[in-house]
Amino acid sequence: MPLLENGRIVADGWTDVADDAPCPDKTAIIVSPDRLEEALARAEAAPLGVRLAPEDDVALLRTILPRLGLVCVNFPTFRDGRAFTQARALREHLHFTGEIRATGPALPDQYEFMLRCGITTVEIPDGSDPAIWEKAHRRFTVAYQPSVLHEKAQGFGFRRFLDA
Amino acid sequence: MDVRNNRRTTTGSSVVTANRLLDGRIVWLTDQGTWSGDIAHAEVWPNDRVESVIAETARDQQEQGVVGVYGVQLDDRAAGICPLTVRERIRAFGPTVHPQFAPGAPQEDNAHV
Amino acid sequence: MSETPVTVPAPAVGRYAYDQVDRTFLHERVEQFRDQVARRISGELSEDQFKPLRLMNGLYLQLHAYMLRVAIPYGMLGASQMRELAHIARTYDRDYGHFTTRQNIQFNWIRLEDTPDILGRLAGVDMHAIQTSGNCIRNVTCDEFAGAAADEVLDPRIHAEILRQWSTLHPEFSFLPRKFKIAITGSPHDRVAARFHDIGLIARPGDNGRAVFDVYVGGGLGRTPVIGVLLRDSLPEEDLLAWLEAIVRVYNAHGRRDNMYKARIKILVQALGIERFREEVDAEFAQMDRARYRLEPAIVDAIRARFAVPDLHAPADAATRMNDARTRVPAFDRWVRTNTHPHRVAGFISAVISLKPDEGIPGDVTADQMDAIADISERYSFGEIRITHMQNVVLGHVRQDQLHALWQELLAVGLATPNIGLIGDIIACPGLDYCSLANARSIPIAQKLSARFADAGLQERIGALRINISGCINACGHHHAGHIGILGVDKRGEEYFQLTLGGSGENDAAIGQILGPALPEDETVDAIAALIDAYLVHRRDDERFVDTYRRLGAAVFKDAVYATA
Repeated sequence: MPLLENGRIVADGWTDVADDAPCPDKTAIIVSPDRLEEALARAEAAPLGVRLAPEDDVALLRTILPRLGLVCVNFPTFRDGRAFTQARALREHLHFTGEIRATGPALPDQYEFMLRCGITTVEIPDGSDPAIWEKAHRRFTVAYQPSVLHEKAQGFGFRRFLDA
Repeated sequence: MDVRNNRRTTTGSSVVTANRLLDGRIVWLTDQGTWSGDIAHAEVWPNDRVESVIAETARDQQEQGVVGVYGVQLDDRAAGICPLTVRERIRAFGPTVHPQFAPGAPQEDNAHV
Repeated sequence: MSETPVTVPAPAVGRYAYDQVDRTFLHERVEQFRDQVARRISGELSEDQFKPLRLMNGLYLQLHAYMLRVAIPYGMLGASQMRELAHIARTYDRDYGHFTTRQNIQFNWIRLEDTPDILGRLAGVDMHAIQTSGNCIRNVTCDEFAGAAADEVLDPRIHAEILRQWSTLHPEFSFLPRKFKIAITGSPHDRVAARFHDIGLIARPGDNGRAVFDVYVGGGLGRTPVIGVLLRDSLPEEDLLAWLEAIVRVYNAHGRRDNMYKARIKILVQALGIERFREEVDAEFAQMDRARYRLEPAIVDAIRARFAVPDLHAPADAATRMNDARTRVPAFDRWVRTNTHPHRVAGFISAVISLKPDEGIPGDVTADQMDAIADISERYSFGEIRITHMQNVVLGHVRQDQLHALWQELLAVGLATPNIGLIGDIIACPGLDYCSLANARSIPIAQKLSARFADAGLQERIGALRINISGCINACGHHHAGHIGILGVDKRGEEYFQLTLGGSGENDAAIGQILGPALPEDETVDAIAALIDAYLVHRRDDERFVDTYRRLGAAVFKDAVYATA
């Protein structure tokens, strides 16, 4: 699937490893939480990412997070917003600075919410137009609450200036 | 779709309904394959055939400009085409508390052109 | 009655005045929806994908057409806003609007293709339909006598506005397991049903002069009625947003998503138990970046400064002149007894405009009536209008010496029904006449009851009584919270009604208990009359209906309804 970052399609350097497949050495891989130990024990320390299920508590990653380069959060349907809370907790509670990738059938209309919760990349459906996502990102110039992006205050209240 | 909307006996007959996408108004599938705002123009199907009609119609609802296609069981003892349930009678004939808003009432045609 | 759109309503008495930034945001929101509608019509968005997006702009596909629910934040409207609602009713609907139990207004005959333009018109008067539906934080409701009531200790509207802003397009909380409703009051007398909300806030001034809040969580009606429990008392103002963030985060992460009927926060609170739930919230609160969410006094004061304060000066003889008129005009005197509420300032009073005329539709207003209310509010109450969760209208600040003139004007436009808090003041959802979820029609029952008890003297003799009618188990008519609750059920496609007794949404919050088997539509009004007869026989002194029920239990009332059947 095409990977969207900053409004553009970018190359995906990560390989998603199914639970029943071996973990390749020397490759940036994404595994489920159960296989993190195994993946960390690989011969050479290649980049490692984890894919969370929506019900997973991000606090489980607390100790291992500094060794991870990527966390995938999933939208099983676009109506299931647990990934927003997971992403925000990764940034706000655990101070994760790596890539947070959204997977699953989310809508472009949710893109700005994703970004403001700390998601950085999105797997978008084949053939979908990144311009629509970028447009959704540029739609609003103001928000009414602080976010993990630490946007500039805009006048009074909790208003924030959204820098597109 | 709400289970109540699809409640249907094996015998008896039904009509097919939906809402128009652009204005939300209730429409009924006619024997020409078009949609009418008047249930009197609806084509009546025996219940053993209506499921396939609903499925076929629902398949290209976007092209037909309608949403929420389903079947409505008729009161076979009634004169003319009349739904069996109160709910569907209100859909067909308008809100009982505002008779002036019934389909086909003068206000219907005057409202915002 | 102006046909041209009124631009900036100034000053905004009793509500937050928008600035250019707020208007830019609303404009961007309208354009976003215009784009979403275009994508739906082109087929780029399926109905399944579009539905949550339109719901978050208050647009439902109802029984007969699209229905648009417009937000009236904490129930406060300006006169020019009311005139714009009248204009929308005339131009895009069928001359009607319907005020709801959540202080909003609904238009029943809206076209999808008109909706972006309607939202554009609303934005022109600083109004919107944002989050009036959908699985997000809904319109925050508030005491209809806020800033006016003699018994109030803190004006809750400032914090209601802060919560409105904070929850608007919240990036984390726009796809919750289910809808989320917050109510706030600053009076020890709960007029917002705080214990029947996902979060209910009861505010009062703390020792340092800043607000503190008792936080109730997990209340609600619907198919599983639950009275909310006290999660936290005396929460300091500076932690209000952080604490609410923590509660909603716990809910978003752990609320059930497998069954929409078990997805509200009340089910989560019940499943975990209040202690475990509190631990989860505490843990989140301890980890979060508190500085980011701290509600500094300067922030509160900046929002407060956007609220225009009315100049409340009445002549010294205001009360005397009102009382003289009451002595001279018995009908006015009756209306004052039922339709007013004590004001915190001498010489002022709050007036309630009943939207429950005899045989009328509870909460319905015509476009002309909306214009009339707007005009009257400008003459008598600083152009400030409040919509109540009882589906009535309040003019908050009326000079007592002008009350008689106000009443005469209301009388002239058919808005002086003297029945507030009485049997005629019925709360009813739209029911099966308009709602696609309903099982039975609510409005005809309300109309028949209203006709049966039309006599104002009889109503006053029966006394304080709350009748709530819901057309289905979703309980939009709050039947569980009614002294007499009426619930429409479907039996083989026909309408039946189940009665519950003893509910209350106020300080004595209680869930009504089912009296017996559901009754057919044509026996329901007689059954209510039988309940009233039994009450009048058994009541002691000035006992309210609900107190007699609580004293005697159900047996007497059960006999009255079912023994003769």
